[in-house]
Amino acid sequence: MSSTPDTIEPGTEVPRAMPLGTTLLMLLRREFWEHRYLWRVPLAFIALLLLLAVFGHVDADDMPAKVQAALPTLIQYALASVLFLIVVAVLTYYTIDCLHAERKDRSILFWKSLPVSDGLTVTSKFLVALVVVPLAAVGLALLGHLLFMAIMAARAAFGSLPAAPAWDTLEWLRNVALMLVLLVLAMLWYAPVIAASLLVSGWARKPFLWATLPPLMLLILEPIFFHTTYFWHFLRYRSQGIWDVLAHGIRLPREDAVPHSIASALFDNLHWRAAFGSIDLWLGVLTALALLYAAARLRRYHDET
Amino acid sequence: MTAVIEARHLTKRYGATRALDGVTFSVAAGRIVGLIGPNGAGKTTTLKALLGLTPFEGELRVLGLDPRRERDALMREVCFMADVAVLPRWLRVSQALEFCAGVHPRFDRAIASDFLRKTDIRPASRVRELSKGMVTQLHLALIMAIDARLLVLDEPTIGLDLLYRRKFYDTLVNDYFDKQRTILLTTHQVEEVENLFTDVIFINHGKVALDASVEDLGQRYQQLTLSAEAAARARALQPFYERELFGRVAMFFEGRSSAELKAFGELRTPSIADLFVAKMQGSPGT
Repeated sequence: MSSTPDTIEPGTEVPRAMPLGTTLLMLLRREFWEHRYLWRVPLAFIALLLLLAVFGHVDADDMPAKVQAALPTLIQYALASVLFLIVVAVLTYYTIDCLHAERKDRSILFWKSLPVSDGLTVTSKFLVALVVVPLAAVGLALLGHLLFMAIMAARAAFGSLPAAPAWDTLEWLRNVALMLVLLVLAMLWYAPVIAASLLVSGWARKPFLWATLPPLMLLILEPIFFHTTYFWHFLRYRSQGIWDVLAHGIRLPREDAVPHSIASALFDNLHWRAAFGSIDLWLGVLTALALLYAAARLRRYHDET
Repeated sequence: MTAVIEARHLTKRYGATRALDGVTFSVAAGRIVGLIGPNGAGKTTTLKALLGLTPFEGELRVLGLDPRRERDALMREVCFMADVAVLPRWLRVSQALEFCAGVHPRFDRAIASDFLRKTDIRPASRVRELSKGMVTQLHLALIMAIDARLLVLDEPTIGLDLLYRRKFYDTLVNDYFDKQRTILLTTHQVEEVENLFTDVIFINHGKVALDASVEDLGQRYQQLTLSAEAAARARALQPFYERELFGRVAMFFEGRSSAELKAFGELRTPSIADLFVAKMQGSPGT
């Protein structure tokens, strides 16, 4: 210590910040402490599904042989799809709520008394919604599927089911890879939606109202006053546009023409280059960064306490 | 020597009203400063400016840093506690310690744990399950464990009963405060804490009404208690405030010599609370 009690040399003694990774990890953990539904709801769904596997009744005998063969994959997709719908609902709520919650209970003053930048705090919430929860959901879907299939196999072995569904490890791995690539595409495409929700959450006193009412009014009023539907098309495009690009001209196979490997067929036929090369995708990512910056500035300077 | 806080002409407008109107003061290291003023005087706005929580005009250095631009670095050395308990209700005591340890380079978890062990607060409890006094104790535990150079407290004991209030300030002075540290405190309960202060700053209508060390107050201000007859004569010496109590008159003077005043009645240094009332009531514009 170089300072005597009455002197302070400007800046010289300011302790080093904690390593960025340590702080970020702590911030991410905080989100799961605070918003427990982030992990409780998906886990509850998987638990329910496993109960179904234990007690449910499956009658695979009437299905065509090809569908039977594809059953593990179909179950894998069905499970992942439903789980992802749930996760989307959970994350929609989370992104609109999280920055509002800490303002509402005034705990923001406590968080701001600690040496954590507003940028990092907002980034942590963005990462929870964009990366952590979706990745965990993929992991959970895989785990849930494995457990589901294991239960089915065990039931078949004990004779409470007609036959164990066919299992193909390579196909399972292909499906995992496919899911991860689709997830990356989804992250990039929906990043601006997440960032916009965070901005509303950090700004509005009634964020759920502000997140839903203005878009709804636009949807209703635009056709009435301008006889156009640009906003409707914008919303539609921003919610499913990238999937239209990816699956352009591809039809679902008929029941008797299920390909041997669904994952391989999708890998071969989907328009990956067009989707990942889409200008709109990357403009969206830039927009997300701008919105995120705005949300951080807002948290830094918005004074309402 | 650089002051811990160096504020020059701080101005803050909310629409047409000026919450701060040219506030200027400085705080040296190792002091306990009371920032005292009526509601809406600009106390909280001043603290928010110091902590980089609100934009403002004017020059301000806190520990040599600009709170507007260097807030993150500043928060490594400054600790603050806002008026009511603002710890999030869902937070567990153990999580509070873990979080602080994870993000604050100067947080010593053992100190906080030791402090909490002496209370009824259990690590697994959530903030929402604690009484208001316990929440304040928890917050105090966190603050004590942070080796900060400046502690800013904004009405930290509001809504607490006397026992908790007394314990809070005793802990602060006996276990926390030392010559390396500086405490800036706002409170309504001036009578209870006035013995703590080494310096006081009165603030009213967004302006500094008085800024002095407690020793200087004794030199500058006198309170004269005298009979009504003597009061009529003493008025020639221009007290800035007077008050009648049980037929006796208390007069407040600034910058008069004791010898001059002694002749009229009983002379003493006013308490900070009395001086505050005198200054606020006696100053023009109130």
